[in-house]
Amino acid sequence: MITLERLAKAFGKRREVHAVRDVTFDAPDGEITGLLGPNGAGKTTLLRMIATLVVPDAGCALVDGLDAVADRHAVRARIGVLSDARGLYSRLTARENVRYYGALHGLSGAPLEQRIDALFATLGLAPIAERRSAGFSQGERMKVAIARALVHDPDTILLDEPTNGLDIMSVRMLRGELRALRAQGKCLLFSSHVIQEVAALCDRIVVLSQGRVVAQGTACELIARAGTSGLEDAFVALLGSDEGLAA
Amino acid sequence: MMTGALARTLAILRKELTDTRRDRRTGTVTLLSAVLAGPIFLLLIFNLIASQADRARDITLPVMGAEYAPAIVAFLQRQQVSVTKAPADYDAQIRRGDLDVVLIIDASFGKDVEQGKRGTVRLVFDRSRDRARPAIDQAESLLRGYNRLWGDQRLMLRGVTTSVADPLLVETADLATPQQSGALVLFLVAYYGLFASVMGGMAVALDTTAGERERQSLEPLLMTPARPAEIVIGKWLAVCAFDALVVTLTLTGFYLTLAFAPLPSVGVPFLFGAREFGRFLLVLVPMMLMLPAILLYVGSRARAYKEAQANVSVLLFVVSLIPLVQLFMQRREPGWLMLVPVSAQYSLLNTSLRGEAPALAQLALSCLAPAALTVIALVAVTRRLSRESILSGK
Repeated sequence: MITLERLAKAFGKRREVHAVRDVTFDAPDGEITGLLGPNGAGKTTLLRMIATLVVPDAGCALVDGLDAVADRHAVRARIGVLSDARGLYSRLTARENVRYYGALHGLSGAPLEQRIDALFATLGLAPIAERRSAGFSQGERMKVAIARALVHDPDTILLDEPTNGLDIMSVRMLRGELRALRAQGKCLLFSSHVIQEVAALCDRIVVLSQGRVVAQGTACELIARAGTSGLEDAFVALLGSDEGLAA
Repeated sequence: MMTGALARTLAILRKELTDTRRDRRTGTVTLLSAVLAGPIFLLLIFNLIASQADRARDITLPVMGAEYAPAIVAFLQRQQVSVTKAPADYDAQIRRGDLDVVLIIDASFGKDVEQGKRGTVRLVFDRSRDRARPAIDQAESLLRGYNRLWGDQRLMLRGVTTSVADPLLVETADLATPQQSGALVLFLVAYYGLFASVMGGMAVALDTTAGERERQSLEPLLMTPARPAEIVIGKWLAVCAFDALVVTLTLTGFYLTLAFAPLPSVGVPFLFGAREFGRFLLVLVPMMLMLPAILLYVGSRARAYKEAQANVSVLLFVVSLIPLVQLFMQRREPGWLMLVPVSAQYSLLNTSLRGEAPALAQLALSCLAPAALTVIALVAVTRRLSRESILSGK
């Protein structure tokens, strides 16, 4: 469960770039919450604040009631993040990459290996488990990065533009995986600028524009509110322009 | 909680060691150059010294006008000098460096001597040529020797003891121990040992900081429960381990070469045995801890490996310049030198090479500044990793 209350963050020497302003919403357990917004809307900054890497200027971000600033170490242990940066260690094998993160989360020995085996089986990584990641395809890298983010079985999962650069087969695999996690009662927060992606997967959608929440609700609620026929039109109507959607 | 921190630090150390071990290209280049540097280096230097010594020993002296002073020529030949006929263009050849020194005997030599005047001979050379200097010195001292012999004989004919004309007896006592006479060659050994401690950790330190950032694996790492301090210490220990390995291999290269390689004999009894090896390692310990920390800091300031390499050249420059300054500063070393990192180590390495044990007090002093700098650098890297700006700029 993620709770954001009046979260704000500005960058620059005189704090003149307002990346996130006054953002309030909940992402409940057992649901996939989509964070939809054009490029530069503040999605990555918002996710980084929840992931404890960026300290908010105002407001607070809570994960299962734990503050992302005051209890940041406890929060880090509970979340699994597939961030925008998802580099692997190319000289390590797929298994070693995931094992490293498992060890950092306090896992070791047989339980860790069993967990990795289970994750690799679900993600279809078993055949390349012992290969060095240097030669991996984009899709294989993504799968290893997901396994790495989930190795400690986190209750809260943040994904920043997870489908970027993936082929359709990998996207379908990823969707299946996220739905399975939802079925386990996990809290998933998923950011994207691709409307179809969000529509296909998310239970609830939070529309972000210039750092503010401009609308939130289910896809149907958003369409009804905007008075349009489809989600894309609703999105454009809610943003007030189609700026930033081209990418 | 402490055990968790320790376990994470060890996990980071283990991962960095595996990662480094598998980096074949960097590893091979660094290790190979470390192992081979000593032998190649020493072989070159020894051959250089040997060839200079040879030139000094088997002197060939081209003489012009040998027929005017057969006694001088006979004397030179008795002194193992092979006397040759000087070419007509001897001055041009000396200028070009083809000839070291030429002896010219005046055509009026015999007549002058008969008339009781001084006979004139001339030595032609170019003293600005380092290579020619031993030959010049040799020729001069031979002629002085002949002059003295001749004078002594004349005095004896007149019943005068030679001490009348030669009242001052100069005795020399060179206090240089056999080890000290190899000082220049040993400077290079100390210099290289110091250099190995910079080069050893460089590639690894930059790869694990700037490289990690460039490969986009730093941000996910910072989101794990591993604290920045744990990440920094784990990485630092890994770089130190590799650095120590490179230094040990470099010194082993020197040790094996000096102990077993068929180096030409140059009259420099080298002292670099097991004892000196141990002292070298001991003196270099502060460097093997400090330089990895500083390298990590330099690496953490850069967004990419290449940028870090450019920045690190400043550090390299400073470390390699300090011993050179010391070499040319032919003064007695002041006491505070032990507080200057690199300088102190260089000085202590030289002490070890002279066959002396570095004083414990000096060793302790020499660790102070490096210890402080190590802590400062590690804290600075930790603070950088804790800052939001580390995430920006892919």
